[in-house]
Amino acid sequence: MQEKLFTYMDSSPSTGLNDGLLGEISIAIQPNMSVRGWPIEAGSRALEGFTAIYDATVIKRLKQAGANIKGSICMSELGFGLAGDTGAMVLNTGEVDSVLITDTMGEARMAACMAGVIGFKPSYGIVSRFGLIGLVPSMECFGILAKNLDDIAKVMSVVVGNDSRDLSMPEFGSGFEIPNFSQVFETDEPIRTCGIIKECLEILEKDESRAFDAVISRLVKSGLQIQEARLKDFDLDRIVHNVIGSVEASSSAGKYDGVRYGHRTNTAKNWNEMYMNSRAESFGLLVKNYLFQGAYFQYENYDAFIDAARIRTRLLAQTEAALEGLDVLMLPTRHAAFDPFSACTINTVYDVFSWTLLSNITGHPAITLPGMVTFGDVDLGLQLIGSRFQDARLLSTADRLIDLA
Amino acid sequence: MAYEAVIGLEIHVQLNCTTKMFCDCPNRPGDDPNTNICPICLWLPGAVPRFSMETLEKATLACLALNCEVQPRSAFDQKVYYYPDLPKGFQLSQHHMPLARRGSIEIMDEKGKPKKLRLHNVHMEEDVAKLVHETEGRIPISLVDFNRAGTPLIEIVTEPDMRSPYDAMEFLKALRIQLRYTGCADCSMEHGTMRCDANISLRPEGGDQLNTKVEVKNMNSIHHVGNAIAYEIKRQTESLINGEPIVLHTRLWDPEKRITTAMREKFEGPCVPDPCVTQILVTDEWLQNMASKLPEMPNQKINRFVQQYGLMHDEAAQMTLERELSEYFEAVVRLGASPRTVANWIAAQLLPAIKERGYEFTTSPVTAERFAGLITLLEKEEINSNSAKSVLIKLFETVLTPEEIMDQFSFGQVSDTGALGVIVDQVITENASAVENYKNGNKKSIGFLVGQAMKLSKGKANPKRLQEIFKETLI
Ligand SMILES: [Zn+2]
Repeated sequence: MQEKLFTYMDSSPSTGLNDGLLGEISIAIQPNMSVRGWPIEAGSRALEGFTAIYDATVIKRLKQAGANIKGSICMSELGFGLAGDTGAMVLNTGEVDSVLITDTMGEARMAACMAGVIGFKPSYGIVSRFGLIGLVPSMECFGILAKNLDDIAKVMSVVVGNDSRDLSMPEFGSGFEIPNFSQVFETDEPIRTCGIIKECLEILEKDESRAFDAVISRLVKSGLQIQEARLKDFDLDRIVHNVIGSVEASSSAGKYDGVRYGHRTNTAKNWNEMYMNSRAESFGLLVKNYLFQGAYFQYENYDAFIDAARIRTRLLAQTEAALEGLDVLMLPTRHAAFDPFSACTINTVYDVFSWTLLSNITGHPAITLPGMVTFGDVDLGLQLIGSRFQDARLLSTADRLIDLA
Repeated sequence: MAYEAVIGLEIHVQLNCTTKMFCDCPNRPGDDPNTNICPICLWLPGAVPRFSMETLEKATLACLALNCEVQPRSAFDQKVYYYPDLPKGFQLSQHHMPLARRGSIEIMDEKGKPKKLRLHNVHMEEDVAKLVHETEGRIPISLVDFNRAGTPLIEIVTEPDMRSPYDAMEFLKALRIQLRYTGCADCSMEHGTMRCDANISLRPEGGDQLNTKVEVKNMNSIHHVGNAIAYEIKRQTESLINGEPIVLHTRLWDPEKRITTAMREKFEGPCVPDPCVTQILVTDEWLQNMASKLPEMPNQKINRFVQQYGLMHDEAAQMTLERELSEYFEAVVRLGASPRTVANWIAAQLLPAIKERGYEFTTSPVTAERFAGLITLLEKEEINSNSAKSVLIKLFETVLTPEEIMDQFSFGQVSDTGALGVIVDQVITENASAVENYKNGNKKSIGFLVGQAMKLSKGKANPKRLQEIFKETLI
């Protein structure tokens, strides 16, 4: 069983005796986070045989805090979607306390939702991306799966914060602060009001609607204030993410040419053919489609990309406005009813993630809580979106909502 | 019909920053292949570019020196193309939001009239790796040297304001002077730290339309640029006369054959905003701080040299061609030598001597102090100018002071009337016919007599005193 869930296990894992903050926490990672000396193939033949030559900043900080990084799990190719990802299963075997997975479209939250655990995606920019291999730099983000909020807060308190090796992070201290995860659950600040998004609720199926209404009315009964918020362009997240994501993916994957590492073709007469054949033999169908689509927007329809970037700015403004005066926005972590692990067209993948894309587009922190939105066969996660850089507050709100519901 | 050429240039200039643009590797492309490399400039998976402040500062100084408007917000784009010198598949450049817009450089045109040539924009760009083509036995192989990958460049794009090869060459000279003054770039076309592509089109003289242009590359000196443009104007004129259409394409200058040849079209990829490097925000305060770091630029310096030192405009222009030269000139003058003598001696004697020996002003053994000593001896008439030239040579070869050289090698000038009188007498005896000519009213003959006397004195006599003595003796 283990062999299938893990792609690589550290032969000399830490004993967990370290007295660091994470001394008792064991972690599994996706093989797209650089750990010195580990194979880091990111689920793709394009990185076949690639071994990390340094630790990602996140890994360095985890090691310093004494975390036991046990091994790496199976992941979808380059972290796009969840096909073949074993993160949530490894967590459920009890082998590890936490799994770190890249959240580009909502993968951490969706994997959590399907496995009945908690999935968290922090604000964009508070965790260094140095050493993380991805596909969509402006959307993807380090994410965490865990069984309780406490473990998430602990891991976050270690990995969060500026990194001189990643200057794309915002300069904390000038108007906003690095979230402080150290005493998340000891606050006695009351929850003010939570928002529900009108445009989301309108498109729920009848049973989903009932499940969501049920949790809301339980919360209201427990004294929570609920307010309706507007997000006029909610239905555009899918197209915005799809266009921008594929364009960024197309350039990000440009470096996978099979020359210095990864699979290299045997059938090429010149360098041009070598590139094309190596890439053709390396990428899976889904990623290939995504890269083709991105190249299409780059070369043939740049205006569509510009439009998407414009709408993205609008979505950010709308989300900020919707959060005005609220603690969090609440929406279900809904997913389509088919098997996401075998999804292999861009459309079916976006069907799975259409309810989690928003915070990847806008950079807001988001969390999915299991088992709270249920009705009959319906079991949706409850997704909370917090204000940017208010990640600690989002976790404490989640903690209290679990109690209230 | 008469045609006129419409010429615009695109110039890449390497900034002499200590590190590369997005990592800490040394900016020394000439080192042993692949010694200045790291995961970032190799663009290995997981690398995050880290934009260097030094690049921004030096690029900004260059923009200010070119009278550009530095933009409050600029950003990097990915110029997407696939080629072995660029294994990450895109080059980071500023396409949509350049660092600076507009700007200008003034040149003197062929008729000596000032002409302002406008710039369109100046933007930052990383250089790509270098391909080296070799053979292994009989198999051709291509090697990639990443030392150059990620080194900082600025690209200067001009408006199509130039009309002749002369304009283009003057522009490049003026550009080089301006940029070298900032201390941010070496601008050597021969060493590849400045590269220039020219866009050339023709139109009926006096028109204002822009016709299809042809791009010419591969010129590695300013003269090549002039020659390539001249050739291209001729080639296009002939095409037009023969009724052949001009098509948009790129040509390579062949310096051996002195012609341009069409090259295979390089694919122009798209430019998309880079999601990793943050946008660059420039505040007025920071910009003012940068402007205060800008040295006095050539035009201001020429005016000051004319006013302060009484140089002629041409002399001042020559003394300001290089910042080091102008600083050397002023250092010598500060030590008490008279400015015009210094300027003339630097231009006529020192510069050629330094160049001949492969020195720079900063590395030459003829320091400002030693050179000032020499000029002072000359001005006090302790040596004549012939001897001064000999002392100058010794200044390169020894560590002695000019005085010591003068004494040790007996370069001192003989002004003593008694000693000179003996020589004069001897010359008069040996050159009876010249003496006769002089006495008959041919005053020019005295030059010949002085020359003979100088020869006899082995160049050490004071020629002014000689002339006086001749005049007195031959009354
Ligand atoms: Zn480097």
